[in-house]
Amino acid sequence: MNSGIEQPEQTAQLGETLIEVENLKKHYGGGGMFESSSVKAVDGVSFSIQRGETLGLVGESGCGKSTLGRTLVRLEEATEGTISFDGTDITTLSGDELKTWRRNAQMVFQDPESSLNDRMTVGEIIREPLDAHDWKTKTERQERVLDLLTSVGLREEHYYRYPHQFSGGQRQRVGIARALALEPEFLVLDEPVSALDVSVQAKIITLLEDLQEEFDLTYLFIAHDLAVVRHICDRVAVMYLGKMMEISDTEAVYADAHNPYTRSLLSAIPHPDPSTSSHRITLPGTPPSPRDPPTGCQFSTRCPAKIRPEGYKHVDEAVWDAIERFREVVRERSRMSLSTVDRLKRQLGSFSAYDDIDETVTDLFGDLDVPTDVSEHIETAAGLVKEGRPADARDHLNDTFNGACDLKRPDFHPVGEHNHMSYCHRHESDYEDVTPVITRRTSDS
Amino acid sequence: MSDTTATTTREELTGFERVPLRTRIVESPRPFLQWLAGLFALVAVEFGTYATLAFAMVERAFVGVTALVELLVGAVSGSATSTVLDIQAAGSTFLTGLTEWAGSLPTLFGRETIPNQGYMLGPNGPWKGTFLGLEPALAWALRLTLIVVYALFVSYWLFRGWKIYRDHYRQADWTPTDDMVGRLRGHRWGQFGILVLLLYLSMAIFGPALGPTTVEQNIQSSYSHEIKYYDTEAESVETVFVGEANFNSKSKGSGENVGPMTYDNYDRFHPFGTLSNGRDLFTFLMGGARITMIVAGMAIGIATLIAAILSMVSAYYAGSIDLGILTTADGIVSVPRLILLIMVSAVFANHWLGNILDGGFILALVFAFTTWPLLWRAVRGPALQVAQEEWVDAARSFGQRPRTIMRKHMLPYIVGYLLVYASMTTGGIIISLSALSFLGNGLGISAPTPAWGRAVSLGQSYVATSSWHISLLSGLVIVVLVTGLNALGDGIRDAIDPETESAEAEEAAAGGGA
Ligand code: SF4
Repeated sequence: MNSGIEQPEQTAQLGETLIEVENLKKHYGGGGMFESSSVKAVDGVSFSIQRGETLGLVGESGCGKSTLGRTLVRLEEATEGTISFDGTDITTLSGDELKTWRRNAQMVFQDPESSLNDRMTVGEIIREPLDAHDWKTKTERQERVLDLLTSVGLREEHYYRYPHQFSGGQRQRVGIARALALEPEFLVLDEPVSALDVSVQAKIITLLEDLQEEFDLTYLFIAHDLAVVRHICDRVAVMYLGKMMEISDTEAVYADAHNPYTRSLLSAIPHPDPSTSSHRITLPGTPPSPRDPPTGCQFSTRCPAKIRPEGYKHVDEAVWDAIERFREVVRERSRMSLSTVDRLKRQLGSFSAYDDIDETVTDLFGDLDVPTDVSEHIETAAGLVKEGRPADARDHLNDTFNGACDLKRPDFHPVGEHNHMSYCHRHESDYEDVTPVITRRTSDS
Repeated sequence: MSDTTATTTREELTGFERVPLRTRIVESPRPFLQWLAGLFALVAVEFGTYATLAFAMVERAFVGVTALVELLVGAVSGSATSTVLDIQAAGSTFLTGLTEWAGSLPTLFGRETIPNQGYMLGPNGPWKGTFLGLEPALAWALRLTLIVVYALFVSYWLFRGWKIYRDHYRQADWTPTDDMVGRLRGHRWGQFGILVLLLYLSMAIFGPALGPTTVEQNIQSSYSHEIKYYDTEAESVETVFVGEANFNSKSKGSGENVGPMTYDNYDRFHPFGTLSNGRDLFTFLMGGARITMIVAGMAIGIATLIAAILSMVSAYYAGSIDLGILTTADGIVSVPRLILLIMVSAVFANHWLGNILDGGFILALVFAFTTWPLLWRAVRGPALQVAQEEWVDAARSFGQRPRTIMRKHMLPYIVGYLLVYASMTTGGIIISLSALSFLGNGLGISAPTPAWGRAVSLGQSYVATSSWHISLLSGLVIVVLVTGLNALGDGIRDAIDPETESAEAEEAAAGGGA
């Protein structure tokens, strides 16, 4: 079916780079008069996608993976950087050029309930992209829609039905058919199965694989955990707070993850064989706000392998954990702004709204044997917070406990074969490697 | 499934859509032709009424447009204006002629076919000049009933047209509209609203035939018409000017009163009694219905259109465009509507614009101008919600034009909300319009064109007397319409929003279980 619309020469080009993303940034807000800082949803990301492959993009919700996907199909404007598609920089396209290019890249959305307009028949929905581009004649468009319905495993009689009359899996098939209508080369699949029943998920994944083979498609498969992507993806990229943490072949990532964040994600997948490195790593706290990301490594506030400053070698793991938690509390406080009354009170020295910081200190450090060179700084910081100057407390803690991870952004290091890259200071020769550190620290606690 | 069946299905499927509606009708014309014949007959029996209305509207529009042209041309050269004015006069005369011709056509339920105005030949009848010699009250009631039944039947016939389309000519066996209609079917309160709206629309269209007398004869030029009546004192049939008869039929409290459902001394029947100036209240109110419906309809129509476009623009583009519209809307809302109406009425008092529709046109514009921000605010929320849906993103991702996205992917979801808020807001417009006429003094619809508010105000000083009917009945006419519009709004809301219904059902189920 549809042999006429396939382009055989593409097969010859398999493995060639289709998309090359360089230093891509997408920031929201900021610049305006009222907003102090912008949300850095995607903050300098570079990678490439080969023709015909499936690249998995994994990360927690809010890490910027969806924004990245939407930027690749020009649903969002890039703030900085370039996306070259088959040699053309698509971030600068506009008007008719953009519309023509749009035929090449389409998207399958996450929520099949929201991705189809309920007031249109399935036939109209799938035909709309063709209509918008004046594709061939009206009759040929209808023929094409019927072909597509069969391709995605629906029946031709469904043409006049409304989405309302379909199940979630069927609706997602309609969404896929719509995305395929214009014969795109590249599809962004934004968590295409996460809203579906487990029994249906496998079917949709199989369908996507079959379609990829049939139409020589290139996929960017977005998912929120590593479990889903293993079967369908050739390569996997892991994102955290707008930054790419690790990218490599799927098997290399599963078998030999180098980045501490990837390690912690992997440890969350239940393992059938309890091997040496299968200690479960639970990440403390929540990701920081993308409005105010850490100065150094994005992952530094939660990293289980964080590099500690030279002077504090003697401090044990539990105390370090407590210090990091305390720093997070202070950081949160420093983000809140004081009311005028509180500011006046601070001037007069009668400020008391933050006195509860003492309880936090007791909670965190009470049971621990804290060395004096640590505890004196903690007390100084707590004092500053009580005075209503959490920003100063934050600076004080930074000056005291900042290590390499807090101070500067890591580089994207090549590690291992197959363009395996990882974003971490620990790949530099000055520092101990990730694996032994994590093993030591997780077994200690 | 074998190959052959697959191909037939395919041909059937695509063939079906390729065929335009007209061809589909030609292929099986029976149901459509039957319906069309019915519609034709229904229109034919009242053709005169519709034609009069249409010609009168064209004439008004023509005068309005030429007046605008005159204004523009006048700015360039003074001599050309007289040419324009000549054209205006000629066109207007021609169209008025047409209107009069259409008015003279007999209609099945017209006053000529079923006359109710007549006089007694002796102290106890018989009646002369009325339909079949019936007494005027019965003749009038018969005509009124027939017209109402006819109007409701026409409405049903139009609805039936949709049903015939659905059953015989639509491709999809089910669409979301079906469910809405279905839900409205079980909604008594909403149906009451529809009924009220239909009744008032009938009043606006058939008003001249509904009253026991006409606005022209009884109100506007009462001294150019004469009527006959049986004078009990002189014991003979006499002739009198309508104006004079009115003068002696005033309702001014206990001494002089012609109450509802009574005859006056001139053999005239007054279903709602007379006004304080002796004119027939029912005729007056029917006359008011037309101007009220036109002004309110025009105002809400324009306001809804503006609100629909701007709410979609705000939701789709958001950001500074949304903020700009918000500021404008807030600015307009902050102007007190009544003061604006009074100011505009004063400014345009002697301007041609202020004379269109007896001042109703400019009022409609002001109402539209002050109402759209309210509607926009109410619909912006739903519009924003729709703009967040992924199907809008999907349409953007394949390069659909913004205008098409708004029309195809957003409008269908907000049109229901628009209808709900529009029907509820119309009540407010009608009340404001009546309030203006109530205040009088050059505000509102200019006298002698009937306006509901003026009837209320005329009866104001007699509320506690036997002439209570003037204010009370006029007030009721307003209240019933406003209530009906709110009921209609409720009905539409429940019809488009099945979630509330199912939530209630769930609650009920949970309550039953507990
Ligand atoms: S750079 Fe530091 S904080 Fe970042 S992942 Fe590596 S060890 Fe962890």
